[in-house]
Amino acid sequence: MTLLKETYLLLWKDLLLELRRRESLLTMFFFGTLLLFVFHFSFDLAPDKIVEMAPALLWLAFLFTGTLGLAQLFNAERENHCLDALLLSPLDRGALFLAKTGFNLILMLLVEIVVIPLFWILFNLHSWNLLPQIFLVSLLGTVGFCGLGTMMAAVTLRARARELLLPLVLFPLMIPVILATIRCMENILRMGELGEALPWLRLLLGFDVIFLTLGVLLFDHVIES
Amino acid sequence: MGPWGFVALAYGIVWGVILLYLISLKRRYKSAQAELDVLSSVEATDRDVKK
Amino acid sequence: MKKGAQSIKKRRGILGALALIAIAVGLYWGLVIAPPDAYQGQVQRIMYLHLPSILTAYLSYFLVFIGSGMYLWKREKRDDILAHSAAELGVLFTALTIIEGSIWGRPTWGVWWTWDARLTLTAILLLIYIGYLMLRSLIEDENRAASAAAVLGIIGFLDIPLIHMSVYWWRTLHQPPSILQPNKAPWENVHPSMLIALTISFVGFLLLYFYLLSLRYRFGEMRGEIKARRLARGG
Repeated sequence: MTLLKETYLLLWKDLLLELRRRESLLTMFFFGTLLLFVFHFSFDLAPDKIVEMAPALLWLAFLFTGTLGLAQLFNAERENHCLDALLLSPLDRGALFLAKTGFNLILMLLVEIVVIPLFWILFNLHSWNLLPQIFLVSLLGTVGFCGLGTMMAAVTLRARARELLLPLVLFPLMIPVILATIRCMENILRMGELGEALPWLRLLLGFDVIFLTLGVLLFDHVIES
Repeated sequence: MGPWGFVALAYGIVWGVILLYLISLKRRYKSAQAELDVLSSVEATDRDVKK
Repeated sequence: MKKGAQSIKKRRGILGALALIAIAVGLYWGLVIAPPDAYQGQVQRIMYLHLPSILTAYLSYFLVFIGSGMYLWKREKRDDILAHSAAELGVLFTALTIIEGSIWGRPTWGVWWTWDARLTLTAILLLIYIGYLMLRSLIEDENRAASAAAVLGIIGFLDIPLIHMSVYWWRTLHQPPSILQPNKAPWENVHPSMLIALTISFVGFLLLYFYLLSLRYRFGEMRGEIKARRLARGG
């Protein structure tokens, strides 16, 4: 129980900080929107093609936006030796992991809540009724991304060129999530329901559980000073 | 390129690369060994001097 | 210390010699004695390289996993050296596997590259462990580099089954099965001579792998020793 309480405390701290300055949220939000525009200009999309490509484009946008969030994840701790202070305190490292994951998750979900409908509008999609299912898949995918991403952000924290190293190290490991979310979304858009994409959803869930657990267990070893 | 051509290409590249890696590894090994020897002899001289 | 080092060197030399013999025999058996495949002809002989090298790569990554885990648990330098060495060799053998697969593919499917499950998976593996090596080289402090790499080594290895599953599903659920089944045919009629060639080649690769690992490990040890001694002397 203390794990959850500590997680909550740390998460609340980050959220308060973010509420005041809003730099992460705003940059992520604008970046996500900008990507949609760039995609629209890059791909000459006939209306039928858009439905095919929508999941992939959407997820690409979130991947890059999320990476932006991850790059800034430990910014607060870098100033004034805050990280050392946190580590000296008796807080469970697992709680720090969950809090950071949760923080990035919340930021990304906020961005997704706006960008997904925006995508529907900009690309003239009509299947508004499918949005809840899309959101669900997006949520599970984002959880996986944030869990593994937070771990990798911590792993690359002390490396030179870490802004480049983070995606390099993270993206190959994210392939199950990328494949699973896109396949699920494809099926939802095509069939109106998950249907035969259900195994993919289970894979996604499995991924989330495994890497959140690993994160809690291993964060101790990564974040030492 | 005939079938034996592809076989030769594959086998050639594989053993070639392995050989190159082995050579590079041995070279690194030798230079590290040399450096260790230098350090050892310097330390030995230090000890002699201190005596 | 000197005596122990000498005996290790001697044993390593024997290992190397054995590897050489096994490789030579394997080469002869694979290229001369074993018959060509009924469907693919002579090109199928590349299998005697391809299978052993990918299996060796997997073994290597398993050692990275073990080394990483042990290092996080006991914090002994030797486990870290093992993990680093195994990662380097793993990248070597994975790269070779991809090259072999590509060359095998050209006469078989007509293209140098396809996104079939096996090649894709091997490429992903390569990316993961190249990332591992880059991570290590980009972190200045040795202990931090070791810890960070160890965590990546564990996570990377545990992700492999998931990546396997997702790539295989992706390539089989939505692709017509006719396009890419390059290895279906040979396995149906495996001539015993082929199996022997394969086994000998595999043994050769294995012996070679441990020979290389032993060399690389000792090199890692020496490098650590040099650093430690330099520090003790004050630079």
